[in-house]
Amino acid sequence: MRQPEEKVKTFANALLSAKSKVGQCKTCFHLSAESECEICRNDSRDREQICVVADSRDLLALERTREFKGLYHVLGGLISPMDGIGPEMLQITSLIKRVDKNSIQEVILALTPSVEGDTTSLYLAKLLKPFTKVSRIAYGLPVGSELEYADEVTLSRALEGRQNME
Amino acid sequence: MELTEKRLLVIGSNGIGKSNLLEAVELIGSLRTHRTGNDQDLIKWGEKRALLKAIANDSECLEIELRRKGGRQVRRNEKILGRQLDLIGPLRCVCFSSRDLDLVRGEPSLRRNWLDKVVQQLEPIYCDLMSRYSKLMRQRNQLWHHCRFCSAQEKNDLLDAFDIQMALVSTRIHRRRSRALRHLQPLAANWQETLSGGKEKLEFEYCPGSKLEGEEAEEPWRLSIQQQLLEQREDEERLGICRIGPHRDEVKFLLDGAPARRFGSAGQQRTILLALKLAELELLGQVYGEPPLLLLDDVLAELDPNRQLLLLEAVGTDHQCLVTATHLQAFEGDWQRYSQIIEADSFQLN
Ligand SMILES: [Zn+2]
Repeated sequence: MRQPEEKVKTFANALLSAKSKVGQCKTCFHLSAESECEICRNDSRDREQICVVADSRDLLALERTREFKGLYHVLGGLISPMDGIGPEMLQITSLIKRVDKNSIQEVILALTPSVEGDTTSLYLAKLLKPFTKVSRIAYGLPVGSELEYADEVTLSRALEGRQNME
Repeated sequence: MELTEKRLLVIGSNGIGKSNLLEAVELIGSLRTHRTGNDQDLIKWGEKRALLKAIANDSECLEIELRRKGGRQVRRNEKILGRQLDLIGPLRCVCFSSRDLDLVRGEPSLRRNWLDKVVQQLEPIYCDLMSRYSKLMRQRNQLWHHCRFCSAQEKNDLLDAFDIQMALVSTRIHRRRSRALRHLQPLAANWQETLSGGKEKLEFEYCPGSKLEGEEAEEPWRLSIQQQLLEQREDEERLGICRIGPHRDEVKFLLDGAPARRFGSAGQQRTILLALKLAELELLGQVYGEPPLLLLDDVLAELDPNRQLLLLEAVGTDHQCLVTATHLQAFEGDWQRYSQIIEADSFQLN
């Protein structure tokens, strides 16, 4: 299963471009030929955890890690007023309904730590908190984390070291 | 082009492009220039790209490729860097240009830009914070327009989401700016004393655009700013501007307790400017253990012979200097010693 990164990306892109033909899962909005996708139909998956991603590409990336055993929810983008994308254009209402109706123990937000990703995460966290536990996956260092001058050098060395390891 | 002496004097009439060289060095050293915030303006008319390349300390090869379509590629020793800010380091520089002449008496934004450049050289990660903040401001401004289509509840929830981020980023910007001023102040005060013959006492006053309540620490400041953003929300809706945050910061320079912006003479204001630049050079040198480059763009001739000599004395032979001017006569004779002199009309910028 060691697919080169390029091949996987090409495959993912092909999937996305075929979206109109393929259609979406009615539950999680992942790309799917059937009305419900393979992941949602798979009984061996943990039905009490939902991982929220921006698009199917991110879902596929997470699936490759084989770390997560729960279900997904694909938002279809991130909130970005500059691009005219508000909450109503994303699968947010469907997520709240899904969490409300099923006994979901935890929602894990896996959105990029950009301004748009963080805005969406914070917005979702507020809406979801009355229903369930909400957490988010940790991404490296937070932006502009507090470091004194001396630490800055140490940090950049640490980062350089990490880049070289690959 | 190879720099053979500690000082390079570029002489040529206005509009001949002699500042381009300094601008290129500044861009590679600090990722921004004092003349434009727009990469497109730096690319030759009709060309798709511009490539800047510098070799620093005989070994570090630094490159920036600017693209007409937008975006930059940054390389260090032929390796593409994921983050632009990783280019900062080998070519730290302090730029002093004729555009700085209004720093003391001009609009607060000039002083914020000056301070930002200092902080960015001290802590490259500050670039991230600033671009994050400006993105947040733009998204938030757009939200007010977008809001007409969403419910009041939705709008408030979204503003809450933005405010949480703004409060954190604002806190970090305020802390870094205030810290940099604290480091600069004693150095600048020293220089002011020297330059004025012991007559003038210079102090800074940082006037943050948010009320910074309680002790200086991330948590109390962050929570307080979040509260302030919430409280001004109705005003913001009415006026269309956000009145809390580092974009409203002001730095006051006080001479013997009085604001130099209003009460300082033209001569005093110029002395302050010189003291600030010298403090900047000194601080960068202290923090990194090697003297930064000094770029003097069309500014030396603006200083009287006495100040020119004081500047030369302060700079000594420690700092490498790149200087532009319209006439060689503009320099005090001593500036020409140990200098490589280029007539701009004779060199080509490809
Ligand atoms: Zn599904």
